[in-house]
Amino acid sequence: MTSTIIHSLAAITLASGVALTAPANAQEDTVQIGLLSLTSHAPSIIAEAKGYFEEEGITAEFVSFQAAQPMAVAIASGDVDFGVTAITGGLISLAERGAVKVIGGALQETPEIEGQKILVSRQAHEDGVTTPADLAGRRFGITTAGSSFHYMAHKIADAEGFDRSELSLVTLNSVPAVIASLRSGQIDAWSIVPNIAGGLTRGEDVVEIGVIADYVEDYQVTTVFTSTDIVENNPELAERFLAGFSKGVADYNAALVDKTMSEEETAEIVAMIHEYVYTDRPLEDADPAIRAGAMRINENARLNLGSVEDQMEWFKSEDLVPAEATVENLVDTSFVETF
Amino acid sequence: MSLDTTHAPVTSAAVPRPVAPSGARPVPFRGGGFRHKPLGFVGPLVFVALIALWELGSRTGFISPIALPAPSEAFAAFMDLVQTGMLWTHLEASLYRLVVGWTFGSLLGVSVGLAIGLFSFVRAGFLPLVSALFPIPKIALLPLFIVWFGIGEGSKVATILFGTFFPTVIATYGGVDNVDRNLIRMGQSFGLSWLSIVRKIIIPGALPAILSGFRISASIAIVLLVAAEMIGAEFGIGAYILMAGALFATDQLICGVAMLSILGLTISFFIGKAEKYFLNWRT
Amino acid sequence: MELMIENVSHHYGETHVLEDISFTLKDGEIICIIGPSGCGKSTLLRFIGGLEQPTSGQVLIAGEAPSGSLNPLTYIFQDFALLPWRTVEGNVSLVLEDHGIHGSRANAIINDVLARTKLADFRKALPRQLSGGMKQRVAIARALAVNPAVMLMDEPLSALDSQTRELLLDDLVELWSREKFSACYVTHNLAEAVRLGHKIVVLSRRPGRVRQIVEIDMPLGERFERMGELEETQRHLWNLMREEARAADMELADVA
Repeated sequence: MTSTIIHSLAAITLASGVALTAPANAQEDTVQIGLLSLTSHAPSIIAEAKGYFEEEGITAEFVSFQAAQPMAVAIASGDVDFGVTAITGGLISLAERGAVKVIGGALQETPEIEGQKILVSRQAHEDGVTTPADLAGRRFGITTAGSSFHYMAHKIADAEGFDRSELSLVTLNSVPAVIASLRSGQIDAWSIVPNIAGGLTRGEDVVEIGVIADYVEDYQVTTVFTSTDIVENNPELAERFLAGFSKGVADYNAALVDKTMSEEETAEIVAMIHEYVYTDRPLEDADPAIRAGAMRINENARLNLGSVEDQMEWFKSEDLVPAEATVENLVDTSFVETF
Repeated sequence: MSLDTTHAPVTSAAVPRPVAPSGARPVPFRGGGFRHKPLGFVGPLVFVALIALWELGSRTGFISPIALPAPSEAFAAFMDLVQTGMLWTHLEASLYRLVVGWTFGSLLGVSVGLAIGLFSFVRAGFLPLVSALFPIPKIALLPLFIVWFGIGEGSKVATILFGTFFPTVIATYGGVDNVDRNLIRMGQSFGLSWLSIVRKIIIPGALPAILSGFRISASIAIVLLVAAEMIGAEFGIGAYILMAGALFATDQLICGVAMLSILGLTISFFIGKAEKYFLNWRT
Repeated sequence: MELMIENVSHHYGETHVLEDISFTLKDGEIICIIGPSGCGKSTLLRFIGGLEQPTSGQVLIAGEAPSGSLNPLTYIFQDFALLPWRTVEGNVSLVLEDHGIHGSRANAIINDVLARTKLADFRKALPRQLSGGMKQRVAIARALAVNPAVMLMDEPLSALDSQTRELLLDDLVELWSREKFSACYVTHNLAEAVRLGHKIVVLSRRPGRVRQIVEIDMPLGERFERMGELEETQRHLWNLMREEARAADMELADVA
């Protein structure tokens, strides 16, 4: 996280000088896309590999990040043009400063697809934490204040009817640290996307006790966002990006979520994703991990505005964002269908 | 010059003063410079001027608020901390970790450093180990620290302890190696016991190196504070900075960083005092 | 108490440093050891003081040390070897502490030795505040504090300027007149040797052998007044050493 901060600061410092660059004329635009090594970033990868971006006159270049926060800062500074990330305190804060805008939706919890899981350590489970209602007074792991984990933890508390303060939140700053803490019983509970959850519950140390879908309705987990500069001065580029992205989404859902694609084509999609995700494993090993627990990404990058509003309300109630923050400042609804 | 003066009284005033031929010029001055004058007021002046410039830049919009918050905003964040009383909560948590981690790291470091300096067997066995472990970034071991020391104070103190241990070991055994061999021989020639020689000659002789090691290890401890407080810290300056980073609250970020810097200055001041007190025998 | 140096030889690896050195130091006698640089004078002194061991031969002690001698064989070093972090009195008390002498007993000894070396006013001074001559007087006071039977002096005046050296030489003579200590005095300065030595052992260049042992009968107290008569001896010593010194000089140049 230290490096993250340094990274961010470096990015910002660079930013002040490089504000107005994107040329509006050329049909062949080079676009920098921020990428995390997660399956949920697959639509951009597929769109690039299958030439969907090229059809839109976009040459895509990927920039890898280790966490969502530096990616958001890099987009604010103009070093990266588009990215996909969860709505976090940092993102809202940047939006309030007029640096970034959410222009579409990505990963979303839907009733028919397996969503994020609530996990507890074996120790806590034996100690009687068998349903989310038992989480009162327990230690819940989060990465940072204002992260999606923080939001989910509080939504559980709200729905189960105990005070938010009864959940003892433990800030661990990185997903590996949360996993290490959960497996060693240093924390009691955590919530995470199904493909990571699946890997954990297969072992001895971690038990699933519920799903997030029971607590957050149609949770808009991640969104597509870009810099305010592009939204205002080059909206047409954003539209073309979303068009290419949406084709990637369609392929992703067909291959991994709805499984309507032929096995041959699906394997091809998996191979594309493997170029960027689970690269440390051979394809045979990565294949099941990529397929397992794929969550739906909204067709045409539709955005669940209701969920965004709910998240915004929560951020304000926890004083994690300025009181004057609004959804209008965060989201530009002119690009995609909202609901 | 000297010839002139010795001759002058003998030949009396009749000799006219030497007249410089036309075109004579003074020897060009080439000395001066390369010498430091104590200008104590310049440091604070530069500091104040920079802050003023920064504030001006932020007010006029030359410095984008995304790039850097105005110093006044950072100060406002600081006043928030003071008013809510959170300042003391954060400071207390961090100071506890720093003091415990640094104290034990230094004690262990000095002990191991002395052992390496005094016993060939320990040196042969441990020195390669120290050299191998020193460069490992302790941050990389955080997930393991969680399992070893828990997410309570254990892993935080351990991070700082490990960070301060190695530089102290190296400073201490280096100090022992540099103790004047002749003083040790003197001690032996007067029949001083081994323990007396260590206590009265080697340790005081190594003290300057140990204290400058402390200066470095204290800075390292502060640097590691942020890393240490990545693991399950609710309070602490490092945790405050991390949270500010996550929420992109740059005013709080700068405020937290400034607090660390002031903490560093304070510690450096006290070590300076300790050096003055313990090393007054140095020229 | 007498010291007997018997057939002492020494080599470091292939380098022969000393060969077959023998002489006897009698009670109350000062022996000066002179020789060109690198002839092993200081090494020899370390054997006598028991700080190092020769390859062959031995150094024997005959008779008992006088009662009350805490450290019969006591060193005085060329670089004084004072602890810079201790005051004058602290440096003296250092050598008493290990013998369990503290408090008023230590105080009495410190007062006495500081008075004898004319340092009473500088009790609380730190070494860095003292001139070279005073530092060496502190070292002498420290040596006196343990009531030595034999003082082993390794070029004690070499680090001092010539005036200070003269003054300290006088002090040493005066001290000897009162105490009659015995001493082994290593020097490369012939004038010091003829002023202080009852016997002068002349060593050859490396490997150091005894070239000659010159005895001087004149009482120490009279030597300053009768320097003229010692001129002859000093010239003799110089003749003995000249060739050796020149050769030693060339040898060093060769090595360099």
